[in-house]
Amino acid sequence: MRKATRIVAITLALMAAACSSSNSRTTSPGGGTTKLTVFAASSLTGAFTQIGIDFEASNSGTTVDFNFGSSTDLAAQIASEGTADVFASASGKAMDAVQAKPGVTGRTDFATNQLVIVTPANDPGGVSSMQDLTKPDVKLVLAAVGVPVGDYARQALTNAGILDAATANVVSDEQDDASVLAKVASGEADAGIVYTSDVSTAASSGTHVRSVDIPAALNVTATYPIAVVTGATRSAAAQAFVAYVTGSSGQATLKTFGFGPPPAG
Amino acid sequence: MRRALPLPFTVLAILGAGFVVLPVVALVIRVPWGEARHALEGVGASTAFRLSLEVSLAATAISVVVGIPLAWTLARITFPGRSVLRAMVVLPVVLPPVVGGLGLLEALGRGGVVGRWLYSALGIQLTFTTAGAIVATTFVAMPLIVLATESGLRSIDLRYERAGAALGGSPWYVMRRVTLPMIAPQLAAGAVLTWARALGEFGATITFAGNLAGRTQTLPLAVYQARETDPGGAVLLSLILVALSLVVLIALRGRLAEAR
Repeated sequence: MRKATRIVAITLALMAAACSSSNSRTTSPGGGTTKLTVFAASSLTGAFTQIGIDFEASNSGTTVDFNFGSSTDLAAQIASEGTADVFASASGKAMDAVQAKPGVTGRTDFATNQLVIVTPANDPGGVSSMQDLTKPDVKLVLAAVGVPVGDYARQALTNAGILDAATANVVSDEQDDASVLAKVASGEADAGIVYTSDVSTAASSGTHVRSVDIPAALNVTATYPIAVVTGATRSAAAQAFVAYVTGSSGQATLKTFGFGPPPAG
Repeated sequence: MRRALPLPFTVLAILGAGFVVLPVVALVIRVPWGEARHALEGVGASTAFRLSLEVSLAATAISVVVGIPLAWTLARITFPGRSVLRAMVVLPVVLPPVVGGLGLLEALGRGGVVGRWLYSALGIQLTFTTAGAIVATTFVAMPLIVLATESGLRSIDLRYERAGAALGGSPWYVMRRVTLPMIAPQLAAGAVLTWARALGEFGATITFAGNLAGRTQTLPLAVYQARETDPGGAVLLSLILVALSLVVLIALRGRLAEAR
């Protein structure tokens, strides 16, 4: 019996040691580096990677780690693990979820994005208008329902009155915009719907797809909010990062990656 | 008489066991039992379950039909490059499945090295089809039957085969009536392991075949998608996979014990 108690005690001690050592790493002793963790929508990958480099250059002693993914997915991760200092979302809905749990401060819209149809460079499906997405045998790839870009794409198809016909052509529900683009860029799918910024980002990394515009009247504008997550261990650096993104140099970088300015007001 | 282990050893063992068991226990705790039925319908569990069975059984069948002759060749025939081929055949076990999926895309995709000819000459496109999901799953699962068969073949006494041949049995007859019965337990265990691996396949399938309910969305893919829209349903689906896999492993343990 005594032996069993000892085993449990040692086990607990080991676990406690493991926990405390991970804590001491995050509190960054004076003079050390501050590590900032930013959770950002997959569509921000190109722009935020650049912004991260610039931000680190002008804030020595601070390093920025990014976790890119579907905003909905990231929101769920923040709610259950709470490891993010900053959250940049592709939808207000995902930010609402984080605002409800664990809470945010300084929420502000920092960019907008629109949708565009992409096809492989050789256009195997013969897609040159939105209406062409309903042609029989066009292999269309969208992001899944619940992923912001997937919901926006279905909204645009609804605006055009072709939701049912187009979704009948869907061959895969992808987990984010990057996966949609990959399926199109590899030539496996005939068409996909992604953000306009994805096309600029892809081109800058050498991936070339052909884009087909969605008429302005039917297009959907995605507004991107950013905020400091409540409970952020490095909140000063987090605020500085948000300020950098909304400031002139952050905005200029976002523009080069195909994002629009935040809505006025 | 209890056999005593050194104390630190026991502590580490407890940590190890807890580490493995905890996630499964957590899934059981977090299952929304009250709304289980509703949640299962919401995530299309029955469609994904049926497709998973179909894909995993087809992949196992192909693996057995192709994998056993392959293992036979590797175990019994000496040829240049055999050890390289053996390593290549086992590679999918250690390779990240997403890498396998990417390789399949470059090989059998519509624009792939071979897939381009399949597409232009026969009009066959494997990506985004159930057949594509089976191909991806087979790629990942087949090494297990190959490994099991080869180790079985290496463990038996060659004199039985020689005796069968000396008594006038044709190679086919000896294979069928002498060798195969002797390694039957290893074959069965290998086939079950192959099936279990096929059931859990995710990365190669989503990379190569995509994700569409009823066509390519197997249980693991359904879990991945449900995480975003219906976390409770995702937990339920996960538990189905855990239960299936546990049943397989426990049954297999019985078989392996028999084989010894």
